[in-house]
Amino acid sequence: MMPNIKIIDVHKRFGDVVALNGVTLDVRDGEYVCIIGPSGSGKSTLLKIIAGILKPDKGEIYFDDSLVNDIPIDKRGIGLVMQDILLFPHLNVWENITYSPLVRGLSPLLVDELGNEVIGYLDLALDKRMYPDELSRGAQQKVAIARALTAGPKILLLDEPLGSLDAQTAKEFRYELRRLVKDLKLTAIHITHNQEEAMSIADKVVVLRKGRIEQVGTPLELYTSPKTPFVCRFIGGEANFFEGSIESREGLNAIIKLKGGTLLRTQTDIPSGARVVVALRPEDISLTRRNNASFPGFNSLEGIIEEVHFLGPYLRYVVDTEEGLVIVRAKRSARFMKGEEVTLSFNVFHIFPYPKEGLRKAIAYE
Amino acid sequence: MLRLRNSRVQEKLIAWSGLVVLLIFVFFPSFYLFSFVIRLWPSVYIEVFAHPILGDVYWKEMLRYLSLSLRLSLVTVVIDLLLGVPLAYLLVKRRFEFEGFLEDLTMLPLVIPTSGFGFATMLAWTASYSLPTLFGIRIGLDTVVPVIKIPLLMLIVHVALTFPYVVKTVSGALRDLKASYEVISSSLGAHPLTTFRKVTLPLILPSMFSGAVLALARSLGETGATMIVAGVSTTAPIAIVRWEFENKVAPAAFLGALLVALSLIIIVPTEYLLTPGKKGRRLLPKGLEARLIRLERSTPRSFALLRDTASLAFLMVIVVLPMLMLIYNSALYWASDPYTGRREGSILYQLFGPPRYWDVIMRALTTSLITATLSTLLSVYISILALFLIMRYNIGRFIRVLLKIPLVIPTSALGLSMILLWGPKGLHILNPGLWLIVLTHVVFSVPVIVETSVASYMEANLPIYEDTARSLGATFYDVMETITLPMIKRGIVAGSLLAFTHSLGETGATFIVMGDHTTIAPLIVNMVESLAIPSAIFSSLILIVLSFIMLAIMRKIVG
Ligand SMILES: Nc1ncnc2c1ncn2[C@@H]1O[C@H](COP(=O)(O)OP(=O)(O)OP(=O)(O)O)[C@@H](O)[C@H]1O
Ligand SMILES: [Mg+2]
Repeated sequence: MMPNIKIIDVHKRFGDVVALNGVTLDVRDGEYVCIIGPSGSGKSTLLKIIAGILKPDKGEIYFDDSLVNDIPIDKRGIGLVMQDILLFPHLNVWENITYSPLVRGLSPLLVDELGNEVIGYLDLALDKRMYPDELSRGAQQKVAIARALTAGPKILLLDEPLGSLDAQTAKEFRYELRRLVKDLKLTAIHITHNQEEAMSIADKVVVLRKGRIEQVGTPLELYTSPKTPFVCRFIGGEANFFEGSIESREGLNAIIKLKGGTLLRTQTDIPSGARVVVALRPEDISLTRRNNASFPGFNSLEGIIEEVHFLGPYLRYVVDTEEGLVIVRAKRSARFMKGEEVTLSFNVFHIFPYPKEGLRKAIAYE
Repeated sequence: MLRLRNSRVQEKLIAWSGLVVLLIFVFFPSFYLFSFVIRLWPSVYIEVFAHPILGDVYWKEMLRYLSLSLRLSLVTVVIDLLLGVPLAYLLVKRRFEFEGFLEDLTMLPLVIPTSGFGFATMLAWTASYSLPTLFGIRIGLDTVVPVIKIPLLMLIVHVALTFPYVVKTVSGALRDLKASYEVISSSLGAHPLTTFRKVTLPLILPSMFSGAVLALARSLGETGATMIVAGVSTTAPIAIVRWEFENKVAPAAFLGALLVALSLIIIVPTEYLLTPGKKGRRLLPKGLEARLIRLERSTPRSFALLRDTASLAFLMVIVVLPMLMLIYNSALYWASDPYTGRREGSILYQLFGPPRYWDVIMRALTTSLITATLSTLLSVYISILALFLIMRYNIGRFIRVLLKIPLVIPTSALGLSMILLWGPKGLHILNPGLWLIVLTHVVFSVPVIVETSVASYMEANLPIYEDTARSLGATFYDVMETITLPMIKRGIVAGSLLAFTHSLGETGATFIVMGDHTTIAPLIVNMVESLAIPSAIFSSLILIVLSFIMLAIMRKIVG
């Protein structure tokens, strides 16, 4: 299959602000790609450059192997959906939806046909004569998507399309959105800063940070093998970070000593003596009541429960240990009380060479 | 507790005094003509409709003048819209180097003394080395546009003096409009022209309309520049000035009241009716719509370049050219009359020779500066009281709308109103002269200052800060001094500068109320009428340079 969208070494700055700093990305035909990243990381800028709203300072954009840098937005064959929804306030639902065929000069018959067809896809059960401000946010966004679809785009560009909907509506709508894109065989680029949203619907997730791509991969890849502490923290929710160093190693088998003295046994190719960062996800830790018979071994920590939070399907504990406070997420079946002594054990964790910028900066959401 | 009650009383006191001062200095003069006409209705009726000798000659004349004024202002507004909207587009959408300068140029006619500008325009179109003569066309004061029967120069001057209102409101709306609507429309495949017609235009329509209304009202009342280019034609405002000089008070007052009423009928309903984002009904039948779209799609994209070039050319011809002609002519007339070669026809001779116009000009200029300063200061105090009312009380909204009225009252009608109210024929508190000028200028200066400041007050979201300070125990004066005034200072300063320039250049009303204290703007009219052209050139130049300086200061302060 040939790549549908190819972005090569794109740079963009606004005065002194570097919004994009060398972004290269392939999006395949029919793929649902989510771009995530903290606020100001350049997500919207990248989308605007793909759409043709902004011109890159440097770099090329190809659609189906033809350069589109100089093609104006109305000739790129894209559908654009924004967080602000931006339905034309002076036109009613039907006029909004049929705007594109009308202004492209299609015959009235075709205009009506396209409008009805798209309304069919989206099960829009509302009066077509209503005006945008009479609709709920969710319905407004559906109409906006319908409006983008009547333009017959091959590529759908969505900038935080669910960002202005309430959490529940957004959650339901995101699956509908993916289904629609797949049914119509479109290619979609969907921007969000909700990692859960990205994980649940994307074929491929792109993590953007400070105008650069930090990592690209399937949701599973990003979750199980994050390349940097930042990706580890950003994907999958909370994570515990520890500093330490490689104490000793034999072949790939290595022993890591954390700051507080805890020893971890693992496999890595980081050389002996090097400083490392260890990331431990709260859901990868199991809690047991401290047993006097047990002796401190590898890959475990002893601690005292500091706080307990009830979060519905699971419980969130904050545990005070030698390595500092550790967050643990556990099933409701075994409940621990504040002040109880526990043992934390784990086998899955992630090891990164110590970042040059320091741990704190490397995982900051800026 | 005592402190609190005290500050409540202070607040009430200030509010009431604000209301009283506004009534006396702004609203009463604005509406006085009505009460005058009603009070003296029997004699007004006889003079206007049933004169023993003249019959209803005055009435017939009035209808003729009003008809010209209305025709003139309607055509002016249509041209303003056709030329002003593209210009606003250029100012907002294009990024280029001299943007700020271009915007200043656009706003220049709003601050420029109208008589000086009218004179410059006359030079630019009728002098021997003017633009039309280059094309072998001769234009004079008597050149009339066929069909609509409007003197050409009058139309040009009115367009030049009123198009900035359209540009100002429309460019404001374009700035507020989310540019994303246009982007979305493009992404849906619409041609830029289609986007403009179907998306931008409907959304900026209310602003276009309110700009047009302001322009219409202004054109309806324009006196200073019109007098200079009028030739033998008479508009309603000019008739008022003339009748007042001929001591024909009754017809002058009646015509003035009619003009004020016309302006009110135009402006008050639109203030209330205009709410942005009205839902549109389908305006065009389907077939026509389709044909329009086809036409728009076949327009090459270079039309934008054409539009921008045309806008720039318009600005050059209507605003810049007159200024240049003024400078050119002062050089031409500097040492001798360029046509006869006589030294007596030179600027130097008229200024410093036996006519001693230099002294006259300097005296007028001094009077102008004094009256402008006094009226601006007085207006600032009144405006602060008015602002307080507008910000803290429910009647504020109403007062704000009412304050638009003095802005659109024809100036000659205002002058007449002032003299009938305060002068020897009325309360007899003031004779025509410096103080009457000051009071007259206060009437239109207060609304200017209030409007500019209200805008900055709204932006700063002041009421929240004020209430916070109150809750922390600050007294009314503390709040005024530490929070309110500093935060709206920029608005007040900008408004004052605007009012000052306005006052410096006001012609129509000043003409009627000045007595022997001639200010510089009416002086120019007198010079033109007595054919002292070189002096008129020189005085206009001084005035325009002055307003340029004011504009520059304004830019510095407002940023
Ligand atoms: N038109 C502009 N002018 C100046 N700076 C801009 C402009 N657009 C974006 N920026 C800057 O570029 C950087 C990237 O902005 P961008 O909007 O792409 O971020 P984002 O990832 O979409 O953030 P958010 O999640 O807040 O939408 C930011 O620092 C922003 O301030
Ligand atoms: Mg964004």
